Amino acid sequence: MSSVHEPAPLLRLVDADFGYEGRSVLRGISLEAVPGEFVALVGVNGAGKTTLVRGLLGLLTPLGGRAERSPKLRIGYVPQRETLDPLYPLSGFDVALLGACRDLPFWKPVGAAERARSRAALEATRAERFAKRRYGELSGGQRQRVLIARALATEPAMLLLDEPTAGVDPETETAIVEVLDALRAEHRIAIWMVTHQLHALGGHVDRILELEGGRLRARTAPSCAGAAS
Amino acid sequence: MEALFGPGMLFRNAVLGGLLVAVLCSLLGVYVVLRRLVLLGVALPQASAAGIAAAFWLTGHTHAGLGTHGSALVGSLVATLGTLALLLVGQRGAHMPTEWRVGALFAGASAATVLFVALNPTGDLEMTNLLRGELLALSDGDLWLLAAASAVGLLLFFAFRREILLASFDPEFARTIGRDPRRADALLFGLLGASIALGVMNAGPLVVFGFLVLPALAALQVAPGLGAAMAIAALVGALSSVGGFMLAYRVDLPAGPTSVAVAAFAWLALALGGRLARRIANGRAAAASSLLGLGILLAVPLVLPGCASNRARDAAPLPRGTLPEFSRSNPVAVARFRNETATPLRIRSGNPLGETGRILHSDDRLDWTVADALQLHAVRELARRGVAVRSFEEDRKRLPDLPASATDAARQAREAGLEGPVLFGRLDRYTFTGTGMLLVRLELELVDAASAEVLWTGSARRPVPVRGALSDGELVLDAAPRIFAEAFGSD
Repeated sequence: MSSVHEPAPLLRLVDADFGYEGRSVLRGISLEAVPGEFVALVGVNGAGKTTLVRGLLGLLTPLGGRAERSPKLRIGYVPQRETLDPLYPLSGFDVALLGACRDLPFWKPVGAAERARSRAALEATRAERFAKRRYGELSGGQRQRVLIARALATEPAMLLLDEPTAGVDPETETAIVEVLDALRAEHRIAIWMVTHQLHALGGHVDRILELEGGRLRARTAPSCAGAAS
Repeated sequence: MEALFGPGMLFRNAVLGGLLVAVLCSLLGVYVVLRRLVLLGVALPQASAAGIAAAFWLTGHTHAGLGTHGSALVGSLVATLGTLALLLVGQRGAHMPTEWRVGALFAGASAATVLFVALNPTGDLEMTNLLRGELLALSDGDLWLLAAASAVGLLLFFAFRREILLASFDPEFARTIGRDPRRADALLFGLLGASIALGVMNAGPLVVFGFLVLPALAALQVAPGLGAAMAIAALVGALSSVGGFMLAYRVDLPAGPTSVAVAAFAWLALALGGRLARRIANGRAAAASSLLGLGILLAVPLVLPGCASNRARDAAPLPRGTLPEFSRSNPVAVARFRNETATPLRIRSGNPLGETGRILHSDDRLDWTVADALQLHAVRELARRGVAVRSFEEDRKRLPDLPASATDAARQAREAGLEGPVLFGRLDRYTFTGTGMLLVRLELELVDAASAEVLWTGSARRPVPVRGALSDGELVLDAAPRIFAEAFGSD
């Protein structure tokens, strides 16, 4: 499918159906994820965004159609921060380290390489000053940057974020989007982001995909972003 | 303390067993608390207790085959792991919160425990001891089994600590990086189930639940990180267990509940200290407060027993009754009491720590009987009535043989170089009705060591109400003051 001028897709879904217990929630999904692209995934509540995220992550097997992935594709997942319990006595660095230990066998202790990768990820998301602070005591935006650092520490080719800007103030929202845009620009990481707040993406986003009634449709013009919100 | 840590170490197995249960439960308890499974921490020990009761009921409480502890262990393991499996399998596609199902299981397990005990026609006292947890009865074999299981459990827990953390903190993220959180959960719950089963069998449901929750809560108040929380929880658990044991030994209280009470005190101390430190300075001061809290915890067994000893010494004096006046220069010696009931009246492992410890140096400590306990209480009760007495230890050392009569007791005293009065006791009846009444007949004679002349006689024959005593030792402890009050004519 890809030509010599276009980067090879990291992941491709062809007419894929996803759902649970044999019942399709999403039907006929076809899409491609390419390096360095910033994609926003929108849709009303219950449209199937989480199901698509699970399908992209490989946690759901297509009920129909097919999913093609480039060999050794790594997707860094950033969940909604409310799903994580702030009671755990973990620092920002500890949380990032969980991503850096991705390839570490259970019997090996954490080494200098993993620590360095965590620090670098925190720096890349401008979260280094939260390294020693307790995760549970950070603000929403600060936690989000730590979680992006954790995903980044897995050395992914693609970042998949589930509503990272929900419930944060506009300033923090802009800061998070800028961090993601910098990662896309500097590391050629594909950024896929589930969001309800298209206005904050401004000119950063390359493509907008909208889920509606279990089907996907493209809204390609970035200029639509502001209006769509 | 020599009984705990001295060369004889009568309570070595109990102290070490309690320590192992405390450390293991405290470490796993950090995840019980963090994963908000505290209710499970109550329900699983109760299920384990129901398993023990069911095993005894099914085997008719026989000592054949695996023996008492073997069948208890099997029952405990099957019930705990079975309950866990039921909860985990039931979680799939369930439309009710886990809390509801855990609550229902707790209620069911509690009822089952009581019913299995009621159904069992034999051995209810020993079974009750096992259900309450009987660290004092921990044999060398039990201790080795507990130590081996603890070592394996700790090894697995530390080897897979990252997997367990990932599965607990963010299972979805764990899946995206190729880790299966179900395996880590299976390991964590397997360790939890096995630890609870072993812990309940050896220390009882209360101790297991207490150590699953309190040290972890205490540690999470002040720990700067998860590793530190584990270390502090283990330390609080260990200190509470040993400190509680020391305190129980000195104050003559049940060891398990005392240890849990000390752990609760540690939680309060660390929680208050942590809050105070955060207000005064910042998060870094929490570390200092944790040290302060641990210091307070360490001081508990040293300070409280002192208070308790003073309290014992300052016990209110009682009226002298019919006892004659004696010269204080020749204290009364109390000879061993004869048991004429035709039953050995051995006090089994449920006897309070203090009483057993006080005869540590006696060769016949393993055959501690009701007659021996009454001899000990006779010394105490005489002292409370202002009579000069020799210590129980001295009496046992200088009059080691069982006298045939009061005259024989006087002869023994003479031969031992003792002067003055000698108290001799004969227990003719000692029957617990099972309805809370103790039927007793105790005859006492006070004779002069030199002349064997009878100076005083007394007897106790009235039934004694002793409701709530759960062991032979508690029975004597509860009944003795009333028995001697009647015998000394001061009730």
